[in-house]
Amino acid sequence: MNKLSVRGKAAASRANDWVNSSFSDLVGESCSLPGQTKGLFQKPELKKARKRKVEDYHISSLLNEVVQRDLDEPWVDRYSPSSQDELAVHKKKIEEVENWMNTHSCSSKGGVLLLTGPSGCGKTATVRVLSEELGFRIQEWVNPTNTEPFSMRSQEEWKTNSMFSRPQQAQFQDFLLRANKYSCLRMRGEDGVTDKKLILVEDMPNQFYRQSSSLHDNLRLFMRTSRCPLVFIVSDSLSGDRSSRLLFPKEIQEELDITCISFNPVAPTTMMKVLTRISTQEAGKSCTKTVIPDKKVLEMLCSGSSGDIRSAINSLQFSSLPDTQSLENDLWRMQKDKPLVSKGKAFSKTNQRKKKSKNKKDEEEEQAIGGKDASLFLFRALGKILHCKRGNPDDFEGDDVSTVPVLSTHLSHHHRETLLVNPELVVERSHMSGEFFNLYLHQNYLDFFSEVEDVDRASEYLSDADLFTSNWTHRSIMEDYSSSVATRGLLHSNSQQVSVGFRPLHKPNWLLINKKHRENCLSAQSLFRNFCLTPVSLQTELLPYLAKLTNPMRNQAQITFIQDVGQMRERNYYSRTKLEALTDKEPGQLENEGEEEDKMVKEEDQGGSEEGLPASQPQPTTSQALLEEEELNIEEYDSD
Amino acid sequence: MQAFLKGSAVQSVRAQKDKTSSSSSAGAERKTRAVPWVEKYRPKCVDEVAFQEEVVAVLKKSLDGADLPNLLFYGPPGTGKTSTILAAARELYGPQLFRQRVLELNASDERGIQVVREKVKNFAQLTVAGSRPDGKPCPPFKIIILDEADSMTAPAQAALRRTMEKESRTTRFCLICNYISRIIEPLTSRCSKFRFKPLANQIQEERLLSICEKEELKYSRESISALVQVSEGDLRKAITLLQSAARLSMDREITETSVIEIAGVVPPKTIDKLLQVCFRGTFEKLEVVIRELVDDGYAATQILTQLHDAIVEGHLSDKQKSAITEKMAVVGKCLLDGADEYLQLLSLCSLIMHQSNN
Amino acid sequence: MSLWVDKYRPTSLGKLDFHKEQATQLKNLVQCGDFPHLLVYGPSGAGKKTRIMGLLRELYGVGVEKLRIEHQTIVAPSKKKIEINTIASNYHLEVNPSDAGNQDRVVIQELIKTVAQSQQIQSSTQREFKVVLLTEVDRLTKDAQHALRRTMEKYMATCRLILCSNSTSRVIGPIRSRCLAIRVPLPSTEEVCSVLTSVCKKEGLLLPPELAKRISEKSGRNLRKALLMCEACRVHQYPFSVDQEVPETDWEVYLRETANAVVSQQSPQRLLEVRARLYELLTHCIPPEIIMKGLVRELLNNCDGQLKTEVSHMAAHYEHRLQLGNKAIYHLEAFTAKFMAMYKKFMEDGLDDMMF
Repeated sequence: MNKLSVRGKAAASRANDWVNSSFSDLVGESCSLPGQTKGLFQKPELKKARKRKVEDYHISSLLNEVVQRDLDEPWVDRYSPSSQDELAVHKKKIEEVENWMNTHSCSSKGGVLLLTGPSGCGKTATVRVLSEELGFRIQEWVNPTNTEPFSMRSQEEWKTNSMFSRPQQAQFQDFLLRANKYSCLRMRGEDGVTDKKLILVEDMPNQFYRQSSSLHDNLRLFMRTSRCPLVFIVSDSLSGDRSSRLLFPKEIQEELDITCISFNPVAPTTMMKVLTRISTQEAGKSCTKTVIPDKKVLEMLCSGSSGDIRSAINSLQFSSLPDTQSLENDLWRMQKDKPLVSKGKAFSKTNQRKKKSKNKKDEEEEQAIGGKDASLFLFRALGKILHCKRGNPDDFEGDDVSTVPVLSTHLSHHHRETLLVNPELVVERSHMSGEFFNLYLHQNYLDFFSEVEDVDRASEYLSDADLFTSNWTHRSIMEDYSSSVATRGLLHSNSQQVSVGFRPLHKPNWLLINKKHRENCLSAQSLFRNFCLTPVSLQTELLPYLAKLTNPMRNQAQITFIQDVGQMRERNYYSRTKLEALTDKEPGQLENEGEEEDKMVKEEDQGGSEEGLPASQPQPTTSQALLEEEELNIEEYDSD
Repeated sequence: MQAFLKGSAVQSVRAQKDKTSSSSSAGAERKTRAVPWVEKYRPKCVDEVAFQEEVVAVLKKSLDGADLPNLLFYGPPGTGKTSTILAAARELYGPQLFRQRVLELNASDERGIQVVREKVKNFAQLTVAGSRPDGKPCPPFKIIILDEADSMTAPAQAALRRTMEKESRTTRFCLICNYISRIIEPLTSRCSKFRFKPLANQIQEERLLSICEKEELKYSRESISALVQVSEGDLRKAITLLQSAARLSMDREITETSVIEIAGVVPPKTIDKLLQVCFRGTFEKLEVVIRELVDDGYAATQILTQLHDAIVEGHLSDKQKSAITEKMAVVGKCLLDGADEYLQLLSLCSLIMHQSNN
Repeated sequence: MSLWVDKYRPTSLGKLDFHKEQATQLKNLVQCGDFPHLLVYGPSGAGKKTRIMGLLRELYGVGVEKLRIEHQTIVAPSKKKIEINTIASNYHLEVNPSDAGNQDRVVIQELIKTVAQSQQIQSSTQREFKVVLLTEVDRLTKDAQHALRRTMEKYMATCRLILCSNSTSRVIGPIRSRCLAIRVPLPSTEEVCSVLTSVCKKEGLLLPPELAKRISEKSGRNLRKALLMCEACRVHQYPFSVDQEVPETDWEVYLRETANAVVSQQSPQRLLEVRARLYELLTHCIPPEIIMKGLVRELLNNCDGQLKTEVSHMAAHYEHRLQLGNKAIYHLEAFTAKFMAMYKKFMEDGLDDMMF
């Protein structure tokens, strides 16, 4: 644990600077603080207090000591919930966690709990609050930083030891077992504390992401000897990070009896409540420096943070600083302009139109200052494009017809109603590269079309889009256009606009097929090298016919390959190309694979297809014997 | 190859076979003849340069002692650009000084900006005397020949312009390129430009005939005119083809078909047939003809150029021609991009068919 | 036991079965002593490789037939290692530079350099040069082709190149002009027939002329394919009968079924099925452009008149895109969809005409 204290010191020194720099601000306000009453002359003490605090924070395992509240403290920390009521989490969820903690504290055997959910939905806060209420001591794992000087290790050691991963992993294991075995030393007569303990892991050693099996081994070891509950907190993120599933696959969850509770984003009403509470408390502090934002701002922050309470509070603090207020106003005005305009129009329009303009406003506001990008799940993003929601022509009844430009008659079949979605925005929010978004669209668009003519146009747009990104040197520039063409093309060409109802979406097959194609071609070339044929004639002429001949000359690998690739039996063709359904709320998962492919493509483009032979085939080194055999064969035919 | 079997005398096949098998041992004695005819028959002096009067006039003046400007030769390949300057340099300096005084760099040499800066500069900086070792006067400058200058990068060209000015006391540059538009403006303005015209058929024929005589070849009149035809004013190409034809047919007569074959040109008859099908046939027939063309291994780009000539000179109306040639441009681009020859030709020819039937 | 294609491959120029005139010319060329770079082109299955091997044998004697497969590693200037397989004898080296993808320039330069610089082991062969045989030159990058022209000149003294490609369309002018181009057309149907008959005779089999004719027609004059077909016939049924079925490759049959599926119904659902079938073909190593061509051929058989022209335009258009684009399926599918739409419209118009 010595690492922790080092870290603590570092943190303390950082805190020091902070205090110094902003000390002048303290003058007016410090009087209102409960712990500190002396103002200016307190500088040294304050420093010390902070330092102690920071150290305590780490050494005495995060007890509820956050009594001293500094002004400079972020509001997130200052107003961190201290009771269940203050938690911005759904009651049911809290209950679930509480139940689990209760059952597992009584039994001598500890269990493992896994908390998942988007960031800032109050996972950690729940655990903290509950353990305080139930009288648990929290022991938390923090990733140690490496303290060994680099020069101590020779170059070889670096390689063999594979960097720090081993020690870090080993430390983690030590921590788990030790925390399990030994109870904490009692210091400074903290009598109120029971020796009930809870191990909290939020920070995973990196190695586990690469090699989750070692984590599983650790856990198995832990389960055998465990005496106290162990809580893992893993945040989901939208950008294709599936760490929770990677780290804790279903089998392991079952094997080790891991309870999994997943949190939802904080509901807007709850968030609103918290924000109002904080702002009123802040306002109560009769200090002139902070300006308390009005309700509108709160609402905006609320929707902008998309359920992340931490970011909401941070933005609240930021927006209530006096300096930013004016800036904020500017931003506000800019954003307000548009809604105002539409409001003016809205008088003459029907209700629905009003709603739409409100939608628009919302959308605009989501990008408000400090707000988090509202991300779309891939499923929804695809749905938005494929379902092709358009305005209702009746909406324009009240509108002045002449203001709407009308296409001349020969183009009238290109007329479409106004779009309700902004395709570029959808793609951007799906957190996927345009190329992969296109692949997803391509995989699924056929289900949403009813006319071949429409499909014809749509497929042409997709083909156009692919053409845009064909040259890798321009790809980064063209990608946006490409996705724009694809999405808008699909939207436009779907002229029928029948509502098809729910359709399952699938993941693109192409990557798999393409990989397989490449692999097969490579192995064909390496297996049948002694025929000295060009790839095309090898694959389209020789192999298929070899499948039809009974030629005893081949070795086993060749025979299997011929049977697999050379023949196309009338079997169930779809077995190979089974579709993988895309589930609701699943983030774009192909990203990793995709990047890999992308990289490969790029490498090829730059002139470096270094891709080794795929693992599914005999490697050249192992097929040495085979090569010799081939040589023999050649001589045989030559001597003829 | 069918053309070959039909065109040339079948009688000689067997005889030829016997001869070659017997003479395979005699191959060794002819080892020395490795000089390409293009080099062998390069003009030795400026007067021998064919068909480019203006340049010759200027160069002759400088041979008589006048100063030589920086030169820029441009024009299609095989019109004698390199030959001219080499011949002039040889005459200026004589065989001994030639090596010291002339630096020739062509596109295949490394010619990045670095080379221009160092190699060219170093060479240009040496000052030279105004007389030859044998006492004859020679101009007090050196010549740097930059062959295929249009493939130099723009920065390299830019680096050159300063060098050109600074070393003008001791050095003359001669840039040679096919496309003057690819030479940056500052360079062209520093040089006197000479355009080399494609050689007239008459002159080409004379040259070829003289080579044939010197090499003691057997040839037919038609084969020479075919050579002139396929080489399109490119004398180098014509001579190379002649040499290849001579090699392939050994002691026998060089025939028109063999020339056409070596040049990779589609026999005019075949093109005619294709066009006839386009004008009068059906789509099915067209498919068959094009399939045959591709199976015979003719390059689609070659068919395209020949079709182009035939169409442009043909009897169609201007409107039809313009529609067809537009498609030809598209097809040409697609072929360059590596599109399938059969499909492209089919598409083109069906358009011709469609146009001509309207 | 090797395949008939290999077993009865002619080993010298004199034994070639067709284009004999050309064979004689090549012999002449060898005897000239001075040997230019060659560019041998012609469709697949025309016997380019056989011809080249015959030529090499004429040059060096039987020694060229002692082949060995070598695995070479070449380090690019960027320190990147490129692995490539070569087939070599003491006198020549064969390599398919397109194996190296975009690093083909480096591969070519390095290989030619090593070959050119290594001394000829046996001076008795009278040839002061070695031969590097490059296959699939038309698939070289432009970069590599430009590098090649310099390399060709530089090592002319000790090394000759024989370039082998399907077409000269994609070979840049400077290379074409530096080589003696030799066109190898496909053998005529009759020539294929005679080769088939003679091979069968050597095998001690009796091939009815009608069957030989049918095989050679079905093979599209591709001799390799014809021989493979013939051998497959032999496995399928012997003694041969006149009207026996000539086995086609599975993928061709499959592709035809796919085309029929397209013609029989035009709907998004059908397109989805076609897509699955296209994927299946791709996993069976059939290159996308071959799929496209096969599809076009089958579809053209299924429609008539005016439609054929349009289909051929579309085919050319999308095949071109296929070459440029990244993901073949987009373009294959777009072509199919286009055809479906055109065909549907055509049929509907036809129906309307019949009504009135």
